[in-house]
Amino acid sequence: MNVPLRRAAYAILGAFVILIGSVTYIQAIAGPTLRDDPRNPRVIAWRTGRQRGPITSSDGTVLARSAPSPDDPSVFERDYPEGDLYSHTVGFTSVLFGSRGIEATRSNVLVSNRDSTISGVLNGLLGGDTKPRGVQLTLDHALQEIAAEALGNQKGSIVALDPTTGAILAMVSYPRFNPNSLVRAGAGSAGLELESDPDEPLRDRTVDQTYPPGSVFKVITTASGLDTGLVSPSSEFADPQALQLPGSESTIENYDGEVCGDGVTVTLQFAFVKSCNTVFAQLGIDVGGDQLGVTAQSFGYNQDVPFEFSVLSSAFPPPGTIENNPPATAQNAIGQRDNRATPLLMAMTAGSVAMNGTIMQPYLVDEVFTSDGTVEEAADPSQWRRAMSPASAAVLADLMEQVVISGTGRKAAVPGVRVAGKTGTAQVTGKAPHAWFIGFGPVEAPSDVPQIAIAVVVESGGDFGESATGGSVAAPIAQKVLAAFFG
Amino acid sequence: MTRRAEAGLIVAAALLASIGVAIVEFTNGDWLDAQVALTFLAFAGSFGGIHLATVRWAPGASSLLVPIAAFLTAVGFIEIYRLDSHLAALQRWSLLVAAAVGALILWLLRNAGVAVLRRYRYVLLAIGIGFLLLPLLPDSWLIHGATVNGSRLWVRVDVPATSRVLSFQPGEVAKVLITIFLASYLAERAEAMALVGRKLGPLKIPEPRHLGPVFVAAGVAFLVLIYQRDLGASLLLFGVFVAMLYVATGRSFYVIAGAFLALVAGFVAYSSFAHVQRRIDAWLDPFAYYQDAGYQTVQGLFAMGSGALTGSGIGLGRPDLIPAAPTDFIFAAIAEEMGLAGSLAVLAGFGLLLAVGFGIALRSRDRFRKYLASGLTIVLGLQAFIILAGVLRVLPITGLTLPFMSYGGSSLVANMVIIALLLRVSHEERL
Repeated sequence: MNVPLRRAAYAILGAFVILIGSVTYIQAIAGPTLRDDPRNPRVIAWRTGRQRGPITSSDGTVLARSAPSPDDPSVFERDYPEGDLYSHTVGFTSVLFGSRGIEATRSNVLVSNRDSTISGVLNGLLGGDTKPRGVQLTLDHALQEIAAEALGNQKGSIVALDPTTGAILAMVSYPRFNPNSLVRAGAGSAGLELESDPDEPLRDRTVDQTYPPGSVFKVITTASGLDTGLVSPSSEFADPQALQLPGSESTIENYDGEVCGDGVTVTLQFAFVKSCNTVFAQLGIDVGGDQLGVTAQSFGYNQDVPFEFSVLSSAFPPPGTIENNPPATAQNAIGQRDNRATPLLMAMTAGSVAMNGTIMQPYLVDEVFTSDGTVEEAADPSQWRRAMSPASAAVLADLMEQVVISGTGRKAAVPGVRVAGKTGTAQVTGKAPHAWFIGFGPVEAPSDVPQIAIAVVVESGGDFGESATGGSVAAPIAQKVLAAFFG
Repeated sequence: MTRRAEAGLIVAAALLASIGVAIVEFTNGDWLDAQVALTFLAFAGSFGGIHLATVRWAPGASSLLVPIAAFLTAVGFIEIYRLDSHLAALQRWSLLVAAAVGALILWLLRNAGVAVLRRYRYVLLAIGIGFLLLPLLPDSWLIHGATVNGSRLWVRVDVPATSRVLSFQPGEVAKVLITIFLASYLAERAEAMALVGRKLGPLKIPEPRHLGPVFVAAGVAFLVLIYQRDLGASLLLFGVFVAMLYVATGRSFYVIAGAFLALVAGFVAYSSFAHVQRRIDAWLDPFAYYQDAGYQTVQGLFAMGSGALTGSGIGLGRPDLIPAAPTDFIFAAIAEEMGLAGSLAVLAGFGLLLAVGFGIALRSRDRFRKYLASGLTIVLGLQAFIILAGVLRVLPITGLTLPFMSYGGSSLVANMVIIALLLRVSHEERL
């Protein structure tokens, strides 16, 4: 009569084996997921209360730090000493609103890797460094300050980078916010206010916003004509007051509604320096919509830009969509209609001219260092893609230098430095135009001389409103950043 | 194992409990106070008392039971103290009372043995069912039922001329009394019940007149379910009925019929009671009902997941965020602060306790003692399984205390009675 009893005993002990399996799954396998679930109230005390490593600029200025709370020394408080200056790059880590910026992308090194997970326990047992690591950014604190000041209270953004490496030197987006407001008392109302603000201060306008690039895109249209061998700077184009677009009633006019040169013919160089729409619309039609799309793609259009943050894809009509539609081709060739670009990609476009046609992969983190200062991980610059031939890049460098010497970009000139650039005034239906400037310097610099490429966009004309142009609004802002860089 | 080793392990469990209390005090930033000494004295006094009673009145008893029970009680007590030191102080008194009741039972049975219980089996059954129904007494009476969290399983006694209220869960004691009755009843009837009446395919069906107890079991469990809204107790009672019928008769028919009835009852309950339906839905996807019915389960999962392998450390987690942490969800609280290491130790403790209990049953020669030991072990095992499975989301959550570990005097007394009876049964086999 012991047989059924034995079976019952096995059944109950077997049920306990199921419990052992279940608790092992919950604690060892699902543990980290459950622990980090945003609904887990422990995350509040845990994620914000833990010590996080510092984030610094390339010159060592502290941009984020953790200090023990005066009330409870076992709890750390996060502090952003530079306030709103790095709101989109450094970001924040907040209980109620999650993490953004470097605080989100590098969270795994910024927190201690000594915890109760399998890897954490092993690491602790093996005597690994368990203190949080620090992150040094490529951003130059002085340049970041100048850029923010130059943009002022105008909606828009600035990206400055080193075209030889891809290192981001300054990255500013306005409107900004103070990340300290999201980690301290009152974070709830402050965060909700930011989230509902129609000006979208949380949006990083350098990578998370696209704009019609306007005449800035003429750099790419010109590269397309040069690469295909269709034109040279001395090629002559007709110079009408308005270009009648084939197969339609519409016309394209120059910015001031006048002829570009003498009203008969004009060279490509002259038209580039004065930014004449009629000539580049015609050049676009001559090159063709498909070829223009191919060139745009080699500059990074319709591609995912590999970067610290996710970058909106810049958009150009893909091959086959506008080839037989000359009006659309013409309008896209001058950076209008369906053409949309991020400021980051436009800064990289300027950089490709400086770099003989190659584009370096942009990066924001210079190095990850341990608590004793040892570099654990250092940036390794690499080429992302070839945008155009070296010969085309050399021609464009010359054309863009002329823009700053005698054309629409004169207000970007820095005395004693060979600065090159291109302005853009992107028309937006029902709104004031977006003012653009992209540029770089010094032209023909030896590789050991510091170089910079920049893109500036001011939304809806900024303080100038309807009368704004790239040359009048964006070029002076770029000039201040360039002057500070070279000064 | 010798009595000396048993005494040593009881002292170790008492040290474990008092060191745990000391750790909680240190993490709270306090200095050691009388709590550490009081905890040591309560554990040494209660389990030491049971030990001395065993030496005196049941010297042949197994020396494995008491140390395991002491270990489980100590781990549970540390977590209760960490959650609420006021509850822990009450639990200490409960522990002393429970040990006194356990010793009293050993003394009462010192000459007559457990066999005397057979003589009073209908009295015990009547008391057991009466206890089960006690919470249904109207609120205006001196002794009255009370509804807590939607379930009516408490009885409160308003002590006359004072504002004091004594409260206890009679269901905890009822389960022991009903188990004693079943063991006694089956010892006499099992052979008759095992007789095959007819065959239905491969299934051997007992004579219809022997099926009565099965339906009585189902009926009582279902009544408890309906009137007291106590899913856990009804599942436990029903499970013990079915398991003991199987153990006594060896007929899998009882298990199959029991499972069928349970499924039917479960389906009826699901379709007729909103609170049952909510629990099932919240079991299948607790995160979808995170705000209401799934809240407790999800908080338990968060706690256990946050504890991971080694736990937050005693006093350093947030088990206070789990609803009913000191009672139903004590295991989740332990898992958070002591990690997978601690939760596996607890499960291993229960596994050992059950193995010892089943070992006593297997070695028993007398039918009644065998069924009594099996029934009591099954009660312990099923109760622990049902609540742990609920916490770990293996089954829907049903309110039950975790034996020896949850806060609660009635539970502690009932489980100490089980230990005392198992001790006595194992002693009688050595005679």
